[in-house]
Amino acid sequence: MLTSFQEARLGLDQMVRDINDAGFPPPAFAGTDLTKFAITPFGWSIGSGYSSTPCQIGTAGGGTCTTASVTNSPGDFDIIVETNPNIQDPASKVQWIRYQLVGTTLMRGVADKSGGGTDPDAVTTAAGVLVPFVQNVVNNACPPQIPNCQTAYPGIFPGGAPVPIFSYACDNSSPPPATVPCLGPGADNSPTNIRDVMITLVVAAPLADAATGMPRLVQLNGRGRRINPNQ
Amino acid sequence: MRTGRQIRTRRTEKGIALLISIFILLLISVVAIALIVSSGTETALAGNYRASTGVYYAGLSGLEETRARLLSKNPDAFSTTDPTNFLPPAGTALNMGDAYYLINPVGGEPITPWDSASTYPDNQFGVEFGLSSGFFSPTNPSPTALSVWNRNPLQPLGIPGPLYKWVRINAVSEKSLGIDVDADNLADSTTPLYFDGAHFSNSSSAGPQVLELTSFATLPNGSQKIVQYLVAPTPLNLTFNAALTMDGNNVLFTVPNTTNFWVRGSDQFSVGSCNPGPGVVDAVGYTNSSDSSQSNILSAIQTGPPSNKDRQGNYTNGVAPNPDVSYETLSPNLQTVAGLNTLVQTITQNADVVINGNATQSSMPSGMSPTSPMTIVVNGDLTFNGWHNTGYGLLLVTGTFTFDPDATWNGIVLVIGKGVLYSHQSGSGQFNGAVFLASTLDSSGNPLPPASAPGSPNFDFTTSSGSNGIYYSSCWIQASMPGMSYKVLSFHEIAQ
Repeated sequence: MLTSFQEARLGLDQMVRDINDAGFPPPAFAGTDLTKFAITPFGWSIGSGYSSTPCQIGTAGGGTCTTASVTNSPGDFDIIVETNPNIQDPASKVQWIRYQLVGTTLMRGVADKSGGGTDPDAVTTAAGVLVPFVQNVVNNACPPQIPNCQTAYPGIFPGGAPVPIFSYACDNSSPPPATVPCLGPGADNSPTNIRDVMITLVVAAPLADAATGMPRLVQLNGRGRRINPNQ
Repeated sequence: MRTGRQIRTRRTEKGIALLISIFILLLISVVAIALIVSSGTETALAGNYRASTGVYYAGLSGLEETRARLLSKNPDAFSTTDPTNFLPPAGTALNMGDAYYLINPVGGEPITPWDSASTYPDNQFGVEFGLSSGFFSPTNPSPTALSVWNRNPLQPLGIPGPLYKWVRINAVSEKSLGIDVDADNLADSTTPLYFDGAHFSNSSSAGPQVLELTSFATLPNGSQKIVQYLVAPTPLNLTFNAALTMDGNNVLFTVPNTTNFWVRGSDQFSVGSCNPGPGVVDAVGYTNSSDSSQSNILSAIQTGPPSNKDRQGNYTNGVAPNPDVSYETLSPNLQTVAGLNTLVQTITQNADVVINGNATQSSMPSGMSPTSPMTIVVNGDLTFNGWHNTGYGLLLVTGTFTFDPDATWNGIVLVIGKGVLYSHQSGSGQFNGAVFLASTLDSSGNPLPPASAPGSPNFDFTTSSGSNGIYYSSCWIQASMPGMSYKVLSFHEIAQ
């Protein structure tokens, strides 16, 4: 159980750090080499218009940020961060860092950003890029050995519905407030405009409690705030 | 005999209770130890995450304090708290290789980041400016300033502040950032970078200098983080193409027929060392060429004959035909309600005085002067009545601005919100600088959709008003332009 929860906490910490750094370095760093600066803090599929046409973020599979694998990124269980986490290295490039929930495993993949016309979705889902990051993440589905985990905790899963790992707040073009949920059509709803990413990880211990038969769950919450300016 | 056997049997069971007790005690101990170990591990894990988050925000608070104190309007600005021996005077670029440290000692501990043998050395400096840039280490000692947590009024209160230790302020170059801003395939290590509003540049004429802020934070448990900003000052940079700009559709316009009411687009008035230039702007500008704006304005200006009643010549820039009433193309942010709201918010965030609710001349700050123009925001109606005085600076009114021309205003007047500037009293006051009106509300007072164009502004100087009018002055505009915050150009955490 401890291993599961430790993994989840470390995972949450890493996700928050990546999101905080999203969009670095911004285009103000000049140059024409797209691999040297982030054109957007968060990537999306080229099929949905990356990078010239922003898609619209939705919930429960809504929105227009559809990927080739018929998920949504940015979406409830999928996000692609565009940043250079290793700027000290002169040879470093901007990277696409993807978090995607597959079954009950949160995967993480890192790929160097390529030049124009390359699809962040395709590059980060290529074979061998995504690797298991946090296991037994039950936000969207219960593992086979604990079939009723979502109904056992109505407080964590209101109505027994899945809980998004990622929910988004976008800069508000008509403040106050400074940010608004990135939902529904509107100029503010765009991956380029995401300011805050709220992260909710619900992780289960591999086995149910031996005495009660109840699944053992823990919910971790975090928030990443993109500080780099809008691109 | 039977009795004797029974006694012997009882004697063989003697002590079993003790054994059972010891066994149960052992079992309980094992469970307790397991619980303690489990709980301790849980606590440690939670503590690790808390420490990671805590040290991140400690570092961020150092960056934010420094960014705020770079702004001269901040009460704790470095220019106020450390006017000598710290940063060079405003407008003077930092030299490459110079480092300035904001230090935040706890309990009088020594913080000397330039000393590699100190407790909190600045090893990051060498990474960015090391051998390849020729600046091996910061000057020993480098200029320092104390954090607000080590100054009055916070220091005597003993409030534990954030646990950042130092924040370095320095110039950056292509080499230190590892970029090539001019695409010459050379990484210049000696030329500071500047920000032209969109990109970095090697040219000092491009804009203000880019400053790097690097914050080092550490917690008592040893957690450490370095976070870094690149920042540059961003002026408000409002431009006016007319002495009086009416932004929106179907503008409403009423003006006096008096001979002394002028709207002049020729540049006038010196302020300090600033002298008016030869350039001119339009007298009256409107922003919708396909509605009744132009005709509404022109029809309000009295024409002859007789010629002594003709006031068309009072709307002039000395170049264009009179009356000089022209269509203006504004910057995109001034063409939508959302953009105007953002402008209002930006100015409000950087104002010297914000008055929420209706106000009168008695609400005006006494500190205004020609050498100290102020940015004043009135979130409501503003009424001047019998104020024989002069205001200096940028005045933003979101409600109706009722102007008594006993007063004069030198600087910028923005009436954005209701968009009504009203005057119906006599006097010889005037506006020197520029006046801008925009309505972001509909006729019922409800906010217009963010993406829509602004509504109908109303310049209502009744025919009996005695104002001397509006005189464009680039010097007063420049003097009144508020200094905005240091904009964050980039942020990242440096891996430890």
